Amino acid sequence: MLTKDELLGPLARLRTSEIVVTSMSVVRPWARYSDSDLDFASADSAMGHTADLALGLALAQPCRKVICLNGDGSMAMTLGTLLTITESGAPNIVLIVIQNGSYEITGNQRIPGAGRSDLAAMAQGAGFERVYRFVEGTDYRRRLPEVLEGAGPVFAGVAVEQGSEGPITRSEREQARYLRTSLAEWSRHLRKALLSEEQYLSKRSPRSRSS
Amino acid sequence: MSGPTDREPRASVLLGALLDAGATHLTGLPDGMWAPLLALAEEHPRITYVPVTREGEAFALASGLWLGGRAPVVCVQNCGLLESGDSLRGVAVRMGVPLLILVTYRGLSTIRAAGFDPLETDLTPRLLTRPDVDSGALLTEPTLRAWGIPYRFYGSDADAPLVAEAWAQAERDAHPMALLITQALS
Repeated sequence: MLTKDELLGPLARLRTSEIVVTSMSVVRPWARYSDSDLDFASADSAMGHTADLALGLALAQPCRKVICLNGDGSMAMTLGTLLTITESGAPNIVLIVIQNGSYEITGNQRIPGAGRSDLAAMAQGAGFERVYRFVEGTDYRRRLPEVLEGAGPVFAGVAVEQGSEGPITRSEREQARYLRTSLAEWSRHLRKALLSEEQYLSKRSPRSRSS
Repeated sequence: MSGPTDREPRASVLLGALLDAGATHLTGLPDGMWAPLLALAEEHPRITYVPVTREGEAFALASGLWLGGRAPVVCVQNCGLLESGDSLRGVAVRMGVPLLILVTYRGLSTIRAAGFDPLETDLTPRLLTRPDVDSGALLTEPTLRAWGIPYRFYGSDADAPLVAEAWAQAERDAHPMALLITQALS
């Protein structure tokens, strides 16, 4: 079983231009590794709707990878999204599900199926191109580059120790930059960043230069 | 709201209005009332249809599409709208997504025929369990009001300009806006 640092540290080191969408118990920990404009916290939002939001981003930005750090409790709320992802054909989404078997934010109550169910098998059954299971850090670190490279959709279930993250707020009291503002404001911020880059790239394209 | 019409609104006219307004994606769960629109959208090169497994997904997925710079439209049946409550509230509204929502108003004719005005009717347990009353239709407008989602009615081809108007309002308010489709599309 990995610690959150063992999960997030290697990911932060390998991350380049990917959008990273976080949820629940990794929202704050991820911000200790990253302060990117391309981070998005699915917080002060609706539980269970992180993977589907990340899929929308992936479909909108087909030239960019979207890494979604979802919880197993959140994933359980919308298992159908596994089918929606594969049906969409989006090759640029990497869905990493943090499996701690509990609702950490509300006090580590057990989630249905914890220890008995197999989310990776469900992803496989839903038609994910590549499916990984990680239960210890060495294997995770060794294979993470493979997880992030190439076409997907990719599912990685990672067994992670239970922690003690409390409820997430959006306020000046939070350390993470993406939590120190409203969800609406950060959404406009990220959208503007993505559109600005698109405009910049389209101006640099050969067709634009010749016209 | 348009008056009674002999002719059902055409899917081709609605799709044209959506494309003129800049729609890039259509997402939702199929419903018989908007099935002709889905059939056209699936074949059209300028719009992408993204099917979902339940309606709540459509609102989060569309919010992600908007976040990534696209202009999605959600299309759901009114009962699917009721299913989507927290996704619409917590994702689309909290993110300030100027989302156009097409909602097929299934059951409207039956509640009208029975003489109910959804905004004036006392929603008693007795009424909501009556087999001859469509509770989904009765709850559609009160729910949209309670959720703070403005709406207008789309019942004929003459209402096609409402698409651009509704989307402009959504953009202005940075907030979702619904069009209630009151007749099955042809």
